[in-house]
Amino acid sequence: MLPDESMFATYESVSKEETPMAGNNEEAKMRDEEDIVYALAASPDFVNDGICFAARRTGLYRSDDGGISWHNACASLNLEGTLATMAVAVSPGFRSDRTVFVGVVGGVLCSSDGGEKWSFEVFRTPPPLISTLAISPDFANDGTIFAGTLEDGVFRSADRGSHWAAWNFGLLDLSILCLAVSPGFAADETIFAGTDSGIFRSTNGGRAWREIDFPGELAPVLCLALSPDYPSSGILFAGTEAHGLYRSSDRGKTWQRLGEEVIDGTVNCVLVSPEFPTRPGLLAVLSNTLLFSPDGGETWRPWKEGLNITQGITTAIAPCGLEPAAPLLIGLVGGQVLRI
Amino acid sequence: MVDAVSPTLGPLPRLVALEPIAPKSKMPEFLDDGGTIARRIIELPDRDEDMGAMFVRQVLWNLREKTGDGTATAAVLFRSIYDLGVHYITSGGNAMMLRRYLEEGLPVIMEHLSALARPVEGKEQIAQIAEAICYDPPLARMLGEIFDIIGEHGRLEIRSGRGRGLEREYVEGMYWDQSGVHARQMLDPSTLRVDLENAAIMISDFELEDPYQLMPLLVRAAEAKLTPLVLVAAKLSEKCVGLLMAASKDPSKFHVIAVKTPGLISYDRYGALEDLAILTGGKYFTRTAGQSVAQVQLSDLGRARRAWADRFNFGIIGGKGDPRALRDHIASLRLAFSRAEDKNDRRNIQKRIGKLLGGSATLYVGGLTKADADARKELAERTAEALRGTIREGVIPGGGASLLSCKPMLQKIADESADVDRRAAYRILARAMEAPMRTIISNAGYDASEVMAEVKLAGPGYGFDVRSGRVVDMAEAGIFDALSVQKEAVHSAVSSAALALTIDVLVHRKKPPQATNP
Repeated sequence: MLPDESMFATYESVSKEETPMAGNNEEAKMRDEEDIVYALAASPDFVNDGICFAARRTGLYRSDDGGISWHNACASLNLEGTLATMAVAVSPGFRSDRTVFVGVVGGVLCSSDGGEKWSFEVFRTPPPLISTLAISPDFANDGTIFAGTLEDGVFRSADRGSHWAAWNFGLLDLSILCLAVSPGFAADETIFAGTDSGIFRSTNGGRAWREIDFPGELAPVLCLALSPDYPSSGILFAGTEAHGLYRSSDRGKTWQRLGEEVIDGTVNCVLVSPEFPTRPGLLAVLSNTLLFSPDGGETWRPWKEGLNITQGITTAIAPCGLEPAAPLLIGLVGGQVLRI
Repeated sequence: MVDAVSPTLGPLPRLVALEPIAPKSKMPEFLDDGGTIARRIIELPDRDEDMGAMFVRQVLWNLREKTGDGTATAAVLFRSIYDLGVHYITSGGNAMMLRRYLEEGLPVIMEHLSALARPVEGKEQIAQIAEAICYDPPLARMLGEIFDIIGEHGRLEIRSGRGRGLEREYVEGMYWDQSGVHARQMLDPSTLRVDLENAAIMISDFELEDPYQLMPLLVRAAEAKLTPLVLVAAKLSEKCVGLLMAASKDPSKFHVIAVKTPGLISYDRYGALEDLAILTGGKYFTRTAGQSVAQVQLSDLGRARRAWADRFNFGIIGGKGDPRALRDHIASLRLAFSRAEDKNDRRNIQKRIGKLLGGSATLYVGGLTKADADARKELAERTAEALRGTIREGVIPGGGASLLSCKPMLQKIADESADVDRRAAYRILARAMEAPMRTIISNAGYDASEVMAEVKLAGPGYGFDVRSGRVVDMAEAGIFDALSVQKEAVHSAVSSAALALTIDVLVHRKKPPQATNP
């Protein structure tokens, strides 16, 4: 389905009954149970194909219309109960390889047909809890993907998810809350891991980790984002559980707090404009608010005036960038995904 | 002694042939490592010369033991300083004052070298440094990969290989050798190993003789469904083994094993217990503190995602201790490492840090013959030692360029000195700083004076790449030396030459002792 004006509905026009995932009664029921959206991921060609995925406690859901309606993406598994999914990642080459990865308890689901059929790659026991997935931007060549876990550190696959091994040299904290891969991974092999107690960096493709100078008292680190020009600028951002948002311009050696007056407490997600630093847009996803900075974090304003989200926001993606008219998909406590 | 060692300096060294100590029918030994050559020379015919040679031999061997490299550099520096110093003293200079000012110049050189340092980044650069030390490209590449992963304190075991080449493997988690299960019955007979998930661990050096000592703890653990359980204890009587086997009759319900407390001597043992406690978030108990099993509470037990043991080793993966406490502990060990003077202490602390970093590597070194394999293994060990210092302290432009860059500064201090002995000392140091580069150039077959003139014209940081035969910016050409090795070499050379210059009298024994070890 090609996108048109109607897809860019404003939040105000979406009532509870019209919220995404209200397409069928089963979805509506799930929405009201103790559900939560852990992660969202969109096709790199979202503008044309409108494909995106939501990893929820009650399963993996896929939308083909830009996040307006959703269906169970794991139906082909014919499971009796629900399958909790905590992470999802889409291949940069999804348009051709249709590859999707989903983190579940004990391993990773892999699909090479856009989510129609799945294979399950079991990790060694005890079954790890996959908390986050990150794919190499050069996945087409290196086939590398990383899985962060809550108690077992980072697993790495270099063959498109067929085989996985834990690589935790130097990773003093095995509770991985987020991963961020350098846009220049093909050359610099750099990846960052945010943990309960700090931030670690690998410069050899995830085989070994060194802690970087992020003040431990500011951790846990819930989200990380690297500037598209990270290889040259060294700019990255870190959102914390209780101490706001931070920026480093020297690959993590020193950190500056951003938006101290308005960003206080939990930062669940931080999104960086694809045109950064030319157009240095940043979006900070707080528990109940979305704040936008047009100038790399110097000043902040609400993403949309009058936006009032009562449920907790857990995550967000901006598959078309951070321009004012571009759609934003946000995941909520309760399992909803809102498109604003 | 220096004449025997100096031909080995540089990437195109000359070989030194040594007649073997064994029967004459054996072929001479061809060596290109300064430290080994020095060690092989055990006596010179002239007793005065012999004393001097043994003094230098001691210096070079100690340097080799400490850093793994730098002996040829130290040797040529020593000779230069000593020869120039003797010349000064014989023309009326004050030996004691000369020594004082030579030693005064040492920190000046050290500071200058440190300022040139840059960090080693990536496996390619580490491999480059390794190749400059061992001149064995495959070994250098392997060590480059390994140290890029494990870091300067990482645990690396180098073993004799099973084949002809090099192999490596990485082991996740930390493990202690000489710490296997107390009884073979605790192992899975098919794998001779036991693997446990989400284990609770009692950390102690108890000597468990009476099974009734253990009963209360086992009962409490079973009631709390705290299984599997690992008991770390120094000794376990047969009766206690029997109790544990009986308790583990149905491992799906309750499973308990016992492993030996790591460490042979008490110092190592307490270190291991402390590390294990911090890694797993538990508390350790010791006999010397007057503690007993009766005092162990369930909340004192450490936890790990996985624990394993075989006959000889005990390991854990995913210790559940507080990462912040772990960081602090590693930081304190790193500080202790930097302050430790004794080589064994440094080695032990390094091993502890390596274990705590969560993984280890094993390098298997093979060869065409056993002698080849042994020699290559020794080379690998030496190179690994040098690489640790390199990664820790960084690299400086190599080929003698960094030492040469000290010359203008030393010359300036000399020119500004009013004291004649001070002036002489700094001039001697300034001239000595050229010696390594000159030697490298000569060893490669070039005219040292001609090339040195070109290098001086090119400016600071430039040196001679003997492989390409060109004057290049050494840093840009990727030619580096390990800062730690260069500093130790300079320190050894200057301090020992300064000492040697003050020796006035040699006293010989009627029947001199012979020793093969320095």
